[in-house]
Amino acid sequence: MMQVARRFGGVAGMLAVIAFFAINLPETFLTPRNLLNISQQISMLTVVAATMTVVMVMGDFDLSVGSMASLSGVVAAILFTQDWSVPAAVGVALAVGLAGGLFNGIVVSVVGILPFVATLATLTVFSGLAFVVSDGRTIFGRDIPPGFGDFARGGPVIGMADERALVLPNLTLVAIAVVLVIWIVLEQTSYGRRLYAIGGNRDAARLAGIPVVPLRLSAFAFTGVGAALAGLMYASRVASANPTQGDGLMLTAIAAVFLGMTLTRDGQPKVLATLAGVAVLGVLDNGLTQMRVDSYVREVLVGAIILFAVGLSALGRRGAARRR
Amino acid sequence: MTLRTTFIGLAAATGLGVPALAQEVAVITPYLAQPGTQFYVDGFTARAEELGWDLNVIDTAGDVAAVISRMEDVVNQGVDAIVINVDPAQIGAGLQTAEDAGIPVVGMDAGSDPLVAANVTSNGYAMAAETAVYVANRIGGEGNVVMFTFDPFPPVQARGVIADAVFGNFPDIQVLDRITPDVSDGGIADSRAQMEALLAANPEEGSIDAVWAAWDQPALGALQAIEAAGRADEGIVITGIDANPQAREAIAAGGNFEASVAQDFEGIGQTAADTVARILEGEEIVQRVIYVPTTLVTVANADAE
Repeated sequence: MMQVARRFGGVAGMLAVIAFFAINLPETFLTPRNLLNISQQISMLTVVAATMTVVMVMGDFDLSVGSMASLSGVVAAILFTQDWSVPAAVGVALAVGLAGGLFNGIVVSVVGILPFVATLATLTVFSGLAFVVSDGRTIFGRDIPPGFGDFARGGPVIGMADERALVLPNLTLVAIAVVLVIWIVLEQTSYGRRLYAIGGNRDAARLAGIPVVPLRLSAFAFTGVGAALAGLMYASRVASANPTQGDGLMLTAIAAVFLGMTLTRDGQPKVLATLAGVAVLGVLDNGLTQMRVDSYVREVLVGAIILFAVGLSALGRRGAARRR
Repeated sequence: MTLRTTFIGLAAATGLGVPALAQEVAVITPYLAQPGTQFYVDGFTARAEELGWDLNVIDTAGDVAAVISRMEDVVNQGVDAIVINVDPAQIGAGLQTAEDAGIPVVGMDAGSDPLVAANVTSNGYAMAAETAVYVANRIGGEGNVVMFTFDPFPPVQARGVIADAVFGNFPDIQVLDRITPDVSDGGIADSRAQMEALLAANPEEGSIDAVWAAWDQPALGALQAIEAAGRADEGIVITGIDANPQAREAIAAGGNFEASVAQDFEGIGQTAADTVARILEGEEIVQRVIYVPTTLVTVANADAE
């Protein structure tokens, strides 16, 4: 019984959340338009959380993703003000993400600083750089090329509803692509299996001949580039950039991975489970807003639901361990 | 069936005493934690209650992308109108979603945009004219004036343009300097440093007659510099704009800082609600920017509020 609760409790909980909103918002919740909406709203968080999964597979963290997202947004925006083309500015911003990620990898893996401490420090560094680069200003309006802002508004039309076109948002497509890449990397390559081995037991992995140091280092490149990409998506969505706008992504992304871990058989981070975690958070925001729940109460509820889900899963696991 | 339930049943059947389905209005802002925004929302809420609206105030805690997400959500939910308190240039995607669904968006000190039916705000041109004219009249139309402006920020730049025009219209007023302070630390400290330098460069009594500041922080900085230099009794007139609490205190103290202009934040909220009501009644708003009157604050009324 406990086994079943542990294995499927999380899934049941998520379905219960969806059913709750579907019943309370019969007209507007389970409509294609609203679901596409949610997919777009969670797209940035999806990218950060999916790449965060890569380092959390090894038991590591990257706290710097939020400020990296802010930094990449203002880097691109500043280059726009210098009349750089969209592809060139986006390329540089992603390169900044790659460099920042590799730097995190070096201080965690080669230097050996605890990820919590190391990435807390680089969080501050990246955040400071974002202010230096932007001079503390919000860059918006004519400085942002129309093509860049339009990207987040557009997407292929996939149908009609209520005489209005249904658009599959570009941001959703980007998020799907990232999840797919991370799924292939983690689940379909020996690289991914080695990361899981490191997460299982780092010493055993090293003794088995797995090159732990370079692998840990490289994994942080994913979070760096993912954060930079999410920052660009955010900047495109708001057609502007300021030095703090991505900061909120970090905690929510880690929460989403934890929420996802309650769904997997042995509590390991899996990218599709992370996606489910992100989706639950997005559904909660969307549904509670539509039900006109006060925004501050909404935050309390979301935090409480995370605690409840993770707590239930921990209790279930302990029960299972006792029986063994 | 009691008499009471019969009556209710009767009322329901005839439509008496049963209000029509309430209008649903969503107010969405990333800045609810800021004092000014709270006043807007208080004013709006009070009026919305009188009008019997079903009001949903949503704060995204500084997250502008979340404003777009919440706009999409309330559009989906089918609200009758949306009120925003954020720069429309940053939430174009949300405005477009509302436009496509035919839901009007009203700005509460938000900025103008073709997709915003009307923006309710204070008239920055009028506020600047009020203090600039105060300065000109106070020094009898002649003397040396120091200006503190900030052209990179459009709403403040507009104030500077008006003050330029007013002072330019008095042949005997000279603008001694037009200073753009560094505002990264709030604007008081650097304004003070710049004013100290200017006082040092103009040591004779009466060489500076007035300081006109486009907002309160430089005025407070200039006041500190003048007092620290021991030149508070030269009668240098200082004015600011916004009438923040610190400025009110300085004005009430009766020193060099003589005047500022207070925006009516609650009034902006109320007028925003009235504007929504007009749109919901089907009126087409031709005046896309609606100004709410401001008040000149001097020693006579600085203690009020």
